[in-house]
Amino acid sequence: MSTKKNTELEEFEPNIIGFLCSWCSYAGADLAGTSRIQYPPNVKIIKVMCSGRVNPMYIINAFQQGADGVLVSGCHPGDCHYTHGNYLARRRVATMKKLLEFLGIEPERVRMTWVSAAEGRKYADVVREVTEDIKKLGPMTKIRREKEW
Amino acid sequence: MVENKELIKVVEETVSRDDVKYVIGYKRGTYGFQIKPAFAYSAEDAKEFFYSPLCSKNLATYPLLEEKLPLRRGEEAEHKKIGIVVKGCDSRAIIQIIQEKGLEKEDVVLIGIPCKGVIDPKKIAKRFPKQSKFVDVEENNNDEYILEIGGTSHKIPKDELLSDVCKSCEYPNPPLYDILIGEAEEEFQPEHFNRVDELEEKTIEKRWEYWEKHFQNCIRCYACREACPLCYCKTCMADLLEPQWIRRSVNLSENTAWNVMRAFHLAGRCISCGECERSCPVNIPLMELNKFVEKEVKEMFDYTAGLDTEEKPFLGSFRPDDPEDFIS
Amino acid sequence: MEQLTLPKEKLPELLGEIGSKFELIGPKEENGFLAFRKINDPKEVNLDILLSRVPPKSLIFQQTETLFTYAKGKDSKIQTPKIDESVRVIFGIRPCDARGYDIIDPVFMGKKEGDYTDPFYTKKRNRSILIGLSCNEPDTNCFCTSFDDSPANSKHVDILFTDIGGTYFVEIVTEKGEDLIKNLSKIFSKATEKEGTIRKETEKTAIKAISRKMNTEGAVEKLNKMFEHEFWIEAARSCIGCGICTYLCPTCHCFDMQDESTLKLGGRVRVWDSCMYEEYTHHASGHNPRPSRMNRVRNRVYHKFNYFPKNDGIFGCTGCGRCIDYCPVNIDIIEVIDKVKEVNV
Repeated sequence: MSTKKNTELEEFEPNIIGFLCSWCSYAGADLAGTSRIQYPPNVKIIKVMCSGRVNPMYIINAFQQGADGVLVSGCHPGDCHYTHGNYLARRRVATMKKLLEFLGIEPERVRMTWVSAAEGRKYADVVREVTEDIKKLGPMTKIRREKEW
Repeated sequence: MVENKELIKVVEETVSRDDVKYVIGYKRGTYGFQIKPAFAYSAEDAKEFFYSPLCSKNLATYPLLEEKLPLRRGEEAEHKKIGIVVKGCDSRAIIQIIQEKGLEKEDVVLIGIPCKGVIDPKKIAKRFPKQSKFVDVEENNNDEYILEIGGTSHKIPKDELLSDVCKSCEYPNPPLYDILIGEAEEEFQPEHFNRVDELEEKTIEKRWEYWEKHFQNCIRCYACREACPLCYCKTCMADLLEPQWIRRSVNLSENTAWNVMRAFHLAGRCISCGECERSCPVNIPLMELNKFVEKEVKEMFDYTAGLDTEEKPFLGSFRPDDPEDFIS
Repeated sequence: MEQLTLPKEKLPELLGEIGSKFELIGPKEENGFLAFRKINDPKEVNLDILLSRVPPKSLIFQQTETLFTYAKGKDSKIQTPKIDESVRVIFGIRPCDARGYDIIDPVFMGKKEGDYTDPFYTKKRNRSILIGLSCNEPDTNCFCTSFDDSPANSKHVDILFTDIGGTYFVEIVTEKGEDLIKNLSKIFSKATEKEGTIRKETEKTAIKAISRKMNTEGAVEKLNKMFEHEFWIEAARSCIGCGICTYLCPTCHCFDMQDESTLKLGGRVRVWDSCMYEEYTHHASGHNPRPSRMNRVRNRVYHKFNYFPKNDGIFGCTGCGRCIDYCPVNIDIIEVIDKVKEVNV
């Protein structure tokens, strides 16, 4: 994976990895699609069974492999299909964000959000916001692997 | 003040108990200000035990290093206790391990030592270099360390040699013990771990510069992991090949991933003994990471590690009202 | 062997000239310890600290070495990286570390005609010119004299500098060294007999300053007889299994091969490994022939003090003392060997 710079437009198109929970956020993204809502194509979705499945090392690994930002999205508190996976994810991501900030990696590159299956519009808004935020921050090269393999 | 005579007596008594296999403590090292972990299998072995402000090593690592060899048919595993000499932080490490079900309280006998803080081996070796013989250090009541080298006695203010983590220690007395040697230390007001504050005041770019400089030097010997009493996973994620979380190549990217992973896995578990930083051969200030996470976990989630054996693990539990101001 | 002198204040000039003509590597202080790094400015060189934390073996036997890279799929191809063969000068290497190279040379360069030679190690070794620096003030745990070595031994370097107060006494040992000096401007002067005497005196003082000694006499034979002895359980009891002693050892040379790949691209890398790790001998079947710490500590001692002498006729230890200095639990190799000799078989 590599960040492709569109040299003609001189605009940086960020690579964002989205970890979406299978029950709410992924369905929300689906809804955004079926409702034909326009949103930037920068978020590459990886479907996980639950936001609680997102090991914070996934975030680090995404950065290593060339991501400029990471989006973690799950069900609203109380709505988790597995009753409390999203609560656990919340603690983990909160701690990881703080740790990244302390290390000197912009915490804004990690975004967490709750999107339910009915919130197609919210998903599109979130993606738009995230893309804008990361565009402002520029490419993330601090811990990216030097070699592409 | 811990009397060595009393310590030896207690160790002798403990090791003589039928249900105790051996006792782990400290003995004098081979040179300079080094101490060695000591293992007493009999009352005779206990004679070389000692305690002084040099005894920085956290011995809570050892019960989990115990190798369980495969049993022959009909053989039964031996259920004997291990005695450990513990300071405040070491005792908290044991509590944390018990909380995580790594050990059971019945597996250990804790010989508690009220701790007045330990000497940073790097600081004292810098102050008195080239000591080829073991030198013992004592502490007097005026917050000074006293040591004798080549016939001359030196008095050094405690502040100059004390480990940085000890300055901000909140639990000098072991919260959990079976036998306590001497009197419990009075409560004192710990200093803030100011190395973290200094870093937090820097800009984000400066902070990365700082860590980049350190992580580049990491040789991934994993001494930080092995020395840590709480890094006791049977197979560390760093060693896994399938999936491979961290590549074995040593470069900034993988080194950062390793150090982030280590610090993150100690969130809500680190008990600030400082073992990782002490053992790091390339001077990476790992305690700054640990202390920062400890502080954040305390502020955000009001959680402190290693105080209660019945508490739920930090990353395996939640409260519905955990802060979520970062979520939108 | 040509003997020259160089006034101390001319050293930056010399290093500057070397740096302008060749790649110059030297000891540099970083985060409170010494490391061998590329030197751009002679002022960066630090000669006050005795030993670098990570031994200079890392310059030739690199911690991470890419052996080849590959691409999968239709345009599959394998590419081997080009190894730089231009001259590189390593300045300020200590005699014990230089001796470390000589000890591991047979491993990578073969012992006789027809043996496999590792191109990465060999090319890097051949391109390096070693300018040694004698130790005038050995450290607490230095014990090179226990291996018939000396803090001012010129045998393993190309050029040896010895500080004789105000001037460096320079010995040109090999042809490589001679070639280098010929390429440089004439800032050296011929050494006088008196300076030669001072150099010898300096060496003697340094040898006297070494307080620790390892008694290796009969160690090989003794180890032959005590492989199964329970002494090893005792010796390894306090070992926590980190890799410091092996990673910081100038003669430890174990490595692991790893394929690191993404979907289409990949590379095979050689990285340092350590016999102190459990997974070092872990078989794919799940079996581990060295299951406990006792096996691993024993292996380290045997490799250095039994297998090495038997295979190469030399101890696999240079006496630099790094493993003693940085062991978090004070496992002292000198003490271990002493105790080995006391064991009743």
